[in-house]
Amino acid sequence: MPNVLTKTLWDSRRSLTGFAAGTALVGTMYAGFYPQVADGAMGQAVEGFSPALREALNMEDIASAAGYLGSSVFGIIVPLIAVIYGIATGTRAIAGDEEAGYLDLLLAHPVSRTRLLLHRSAALAIGAGILAGLVLLAMLAIRNTAHLDTVSIDQFAAQCVALALLSTVFGSIAVTIGAATGSRAAALAGSAAVGVLAYAANTFATQLGADGLRYASPFHYYIGNEPLRNGFQWTDLGILAATIAVLVLIATTVFNRRDLTS
Amino acid sequence: MAMGDVIQLEKLTKTYGTRRGLVELNLTVTEGEVFGYLGPNGAGKSTTIRLLLDLIRPTSGQARLFGRDPHEHAVELHRRIGYLAGDFVVNPRQRVGECLTFLADLRGGVPRARIQELAARLDLDLTARIKALSKGNRQKVGLIQAFMHHPDLLILDEPTSGLDPLVQQTFLDLVREAKAAGQTVFMSSHIMAEVEAVADRVGIIREGRLVALDTVARLRDHALHRFEITFTGPIDQAALTTLPGISDLTIDGPTARFALATDPNELIQILARHQVTSLRASEPDLEELFFTYYQPTDAAKETSHA
Repeated sequence: MPNVLTKTLWDSRRSLTGFAAGTALVGTMYAGFYPQVADGAMGQAVEGFSPALREALNMEDIASAAGYLGSSVFGIIVPLIAVIYGIATGTRAIAGDEEAGYLDLLLAHPVSRTRLLLHRSAALAIGAGILAGLVLLAMLAIRNTAHLDTVSIDQFAAQCVALALLSTVFGSIAVTIGAATGSRAAALAGSAAVGVLAYAANTFATQLGADGLRYASPFHYYIGNEPLRNGFQWTDLGILAATIAVLVLIATTVFNRRDLTS
Repeated sequence: MAMGDVIQLEKLTKTYGTRRGLVELNLTVTEGEVFGYLGPNGAGKSTTIRLLLDLIRPTSGQARLFGRDPHEHAVELHRRIGYLAGDFVVNPRQRVGECLTFLADLRGGVPRARIQELAARLDLDLTARIKALSKGNRQKVGLIQAFMHHPDLLILDEPTSGLDPLVQQTFLDLVREAKAAGQTVFMSSHIMAEVEAVADRVGIIREGRLVALDTVARLRDHALHRFEITFTGPIDQAALTTLPGISDLTIDGPTARFALATDPNELIQILARHQVTSLRASEPDLEELFFTYYQPTDAAKETSHA
């Protein structure tokens, strides 16, 4: 049945296809460098870094497949694009469409604000799932040729599920700021700022002497316990999922209370 | 509340920060009525409409639709409403038919034939992309989505903006058909003529307050009738000047021109004592009356009764 959820996904098909294909492609490219890195040239270069820098960049074990993927592919580039997708989609979900004037018409139909927000959030989560799923398929496709077979299918899947949730968390932050303010700029800037701070908190917490800080960062629950080595981290996934649930609950509450901007 | 009240506003007030939107607005629209809601841009017309649709919330006072609270019963009320926004916008990347089918499905579906019939009457291509449409053609998409499910209540904000005169006629036909089918229509406009053609009653709003509320017929009675009378003999200017409700009296040779804000009985008595070559009375100009209500001061209103 065509409804707000399917219509949202259908309308975003171009941007979703672009993001998912782009992320998978870039991820594949970087993962494809692994055989050269495993040769040792890169490992030797990293040896020259201070232990603190190596830890910060998650490069203690760059020579193993899990170490290499965790520091480069799943450490920076893929989550960066996935988070950008989440923020862009989450911003458009409420604030973007509200500023464009599209929400007036939808909400004058028999569609409650709660339903609209839940459907938009679900479309965001499904989009993030498709993006992460495509990344997973791409990794599995090159797993043997790129000598990544020390990482099991299960471990790749665990990391990609975490990726989908990470993207959805930042998308939900954008949804929530948009639901509270109706401002596209606020949703975009606010969630991007949280993203940068959260990444920094996870990466440099030890250097800052505030080890506990990383536990406030979604990035920690995404990769801190190394799903590529340890498989599904159910507690971490649960915390990411619960964060999304709380954000959506807050977003629904504030969205129901305010005036729509005209 | 009476059984037949579709819209009921009680001391409805909306302020935006320090800016005044609506001030203690009282208004009732009954079932089957076509109500024209008139006022200049920025008077509070869209604010009223957005309050009715629960897009914004009142500062104080309350609105009722079909006897129910617009916020608490938003979803069930919206099933019975067709709404056209003042600036109708939808995602421009979709096709007209796709957009209308989606909106129809939100209401549980509308027969395809109904959409096609309306599109044909308005001469709109359902396969066109919305971004390729002119402003007037986009407005047609808005009209179709408002009318297509035969809602009990049509809320139309500046419905004819951007439409060419021929399509405006089709729109007025749609409103007449809706009225004949027992639907209630609440339409805003800043143009008297389009409302005059279909509305049973008219409310005029200025600076957030209702300044006039009456039937079109009675507003017409109060409107200025313009006269042009040519006499054979000398003009009895003194008698004319004493006429109640006369204004703008000019004498040009044997011809007197003036406006009258009351019934013409006393005028006829004066004319009976003279020889008249020709007499012309123009249709009461509602537009003119309308403008007197628009003036920011009350002084202007008095000139029409002076």
